[in-house]
Amino acid sequence: MASKPGAATSTYSPKIVARTRPPIFKDSDLDWTRPDGRGFHQCRPALLQTGAVSSASGSAYAEFGNTKVIVSVFGPRESKKAMVYSDVGRLNCNVSYTTFASPSAGQGTDHKEYSSMLHKALEGVIMTETFPKTTVDVFALVLESGGSDLPVVISCASLALVDAGIMMYDLITAVSVSCIGKSLMIDPVTEEEGCEDGSFTMTCMPSRYEITQLTITGEWTTPNINEAMQLCLDACSKLGEIMRDCLKQAASASDE
Amino acid sequence: MEIDREDGRTPNQLRPLACSRNILHRPHGSASWSQGDTKVLAAVYGPKAGTKKNENPEKACFELIWKPKSGQIGKAEKEYEMILKRTIQSICVLTVNPNTTTSVIIQVVHDDGSLLPCAINAACAALVDAGIPMKHLAVAICCCLADNGYVVLDPNKLEEKKMTAFAYLVFPNTTLSVLPEGSSEGEPVEHGLITSVTYGVMSVDDYFLCVENGRAATASLSAFIRKNFQQGQRDSSKSG
Amino acid sequence: MGLPDSSQDLSSEMEVDAFRKIFPLRFFERHLSESLRPDGRPLGKARDTIVNLGLVSSADGSALAKIGYTTMLAAIRMEVMTPSTDSPDEGCIAVEFHMPPICSPTVRPGRPADAAPVISKRLLDTISSCNMIDLKELCLVSGKAAWMGYLDIYCLDADGALFDAALLSAVAAFSNLQIPVVALNDNGRIVAITGEEKQDNASITEKEAVNKERRKLTLKNIPFSLTCILHKNYILADPTAEEESIMDTLVTVVLDSSDQIVSFNKSGGNALAHTSAIKSCVELAKKRGNELKQILGEMDVD
Repeated sequence: MASKPGAATSTYSPKIVARTRPPIFKDSDLDWTRPDGRGFHQCRPALLQTGAVSSASGSAYAEFGNTKVIVSVFGPRESKKAMVYSDVGRLNCNVSYTTFASPSAGQGTDHKEYSSMLHKALEGVIMTETFPKTTVDVFALVLESGGSDLPVVISCASLALVDAGIMMYDLITAVSVSCIGKSLMIDPVTEEEGCEDGSFTMTCMPSRYEITQLTITGEWTTPNINEAMQLCLDACSKLGEIMRDCLKQAASASDE
Repeated sequence: MEIDREDGRTPNQLRPLACSRNILHRPHGSASWSQGDTKVLAAVYGPKAGTKKNENPEKACFELIWKPKSGQIGKAEKEYEMILKRTIQSICVLTVNPNTTTSVIIQVVHDDGSLLPCAINAACAALVDAGIPMKHLAVAICCCLADNGYVVLDPNKLEEKKMTAFAYLVFPNTTLSVLPEGSSEGEPVEHGLITSVTYGVMSVDDYFLCVENGRAATASLSAFIRKNFQQGQRDSSKSG
Repeated sequence: MGLPDSSQDLSSEMEVDAFRKIFPLRFFERHLSESLRPDGRPLGKARDTIVNLGLVSSADGSALAKIGYTTMLAAIRMEVMTPSTDSPDEGCIAVEFHMPPICSPTVRPGRPADAAPVISKRLLDTISSCNMIDLKELCLVSGKAAWMGYLDIYCLDADGALFDAALLSAVAAFSNLQIPVVALNDNGRIVAITGEEKQDNASITEKEAVNKERRKLTLKNIPFSLTCILHKNYILADPTAEEESIMDTLVTVVLDSSDQIVSFNKSGGNALAHTSAIKSCVELAKKRGNELKQILGEMDVD
């Protein structure tokens, strides 16, 4: 055969991945712009669509800038791991990346940390008592990673759960904020995430005005945290509106 | 139509065949099959209770494990496993032992070309030895297409490398039926293909040429199997 | 054996959906006897097919292929390798077919689907044996550096005929592939040249640029495939997942641009392929090949 098995040969990408902090993020705070030209408090345009995968009970596709995610929901179905009887349902989450998700040659694998974060973000909102003894599987695949991957996965998963008809207290929306120097930037892209001083991710139920998950890492001052929280809550409720519209559209389309 | 083969065979001549059954103690059925220097051992365990996940419990299930001569199994072996499993499923009667799993283990002893057909023949003999209910036997053959358009049967490793294309074909063996000849409509059963796997580009006509030559060769193969099995039957009844 | 008869009687009393679940084979055979399939297609017709190019911005070439609901996303990343001593002026292609858990209820995380490695292998066999790509075109510096194309195909939605869709997406991704501009630097490594750098140190790069402009590969021979189901005397082209699970005899025919057989694949199954059936499958594949050629052709114009 013409092609030899290539596993043995080692390869490298000709692209040079810059790992240094770009000069635009130096301390002269005021005169720089974000890589995609957005304002600091402006989110990327969101494209949301339900029913992306026909073989799943429910599914959704989300595209925020270059971040593209598909989430499929299966079930409620038989619990595969022979576990003890439980009168509430189980939630099983998995997040994986494609091999081409990011330009720096990364291996597409399961993302254990994001899988458990997704689980924690969702478990508070799903009415698990409505499907006793069974399991709902939420699987996410990040097709392309363009920053703020986890918040996009969480929001998309909540749409997929609705599409599957799983009972929930409310929609779930997630937004993250990066802190670079003195500025806060909402919905950061990969370049910004690479040189941030601190990151703040919030998952909340927009209608109930309740938070299901809050992650803060890095260096934060109290006023900055307060500001970030306000920014996130605001963005989450706006994202909630967009998601609601998307669901309404899907429902009216299926009615016709 | 002359074509030189390394070992002086005619194009349609097979390498010497050898088959012995019941060679291993532990398995419920076992067989070794060799075509020239290619030799494969097959062992059958089962039917065991229960089926694996994602399998239909209303039918008998088969599990196939391919053990290469050395090293780990790769994609090619996975493909062989899948082809063999499907082929075995199609020749066995699946409704007799529902909710059971039968394991077939193929151990490659030596690979000198036509490995997959050799493994299929070995698996078939081992299944017979284990007494698994079967509709009919499967007879496998490898047909090669040489540069000059001739079809060569049962190639060895050297020939396989030189050929432009080759096809692994599996046919049902000729059945001895009480029905008068020609009573069934259409083509006879043994002309139908169970499995076909091809590598390399060939024209449609060449493919049909392969199928025809393969079909003709399986008649003699199938006669060999029948004789061999009857022989084994007589021996065992004598000793028993 | 009283089952078929009892279902016959029930068919008039039961609801269609229940009948479909309980007697799937009967349900399909009733349709087939009318030369129609449950989704309204005639037996020999393939589902609607869509191909989109260049959806993945981080890859050098990508394509999305949809056949009915079956969706495949293919992307190619080009990396540099040292060619083997046997063929110092040839590059290499590696193909990996993935079935992530999102695509089908039968795939679970941590346990890869059985079908995935088999389809990977068949794709690589098909692409390499029909000489679609001249591996010499992937050479950069003879004996020192050559391109290694990593083709990754992700199944986003599995609804039958996976190999057909995967091959179509692979072919489309190769037609979309742009080989990046690279130069040999002082350390003997190949580095990419972006637009700005080229202006900055044009004197150095101009001289050493190995691959001066973004170029496309010439696809010499394009393979197209069609999967058919054989069931009794019926031949169903381009089956859905439901049809594949009920009627188990699948035949995959791959033909190249000059209608030669690249692969004729049938693994077991209850039905036997007789000469006439083989001929009809090849005919259907020819027709489908022309359809797909047209779909790919329309893309090139855009």
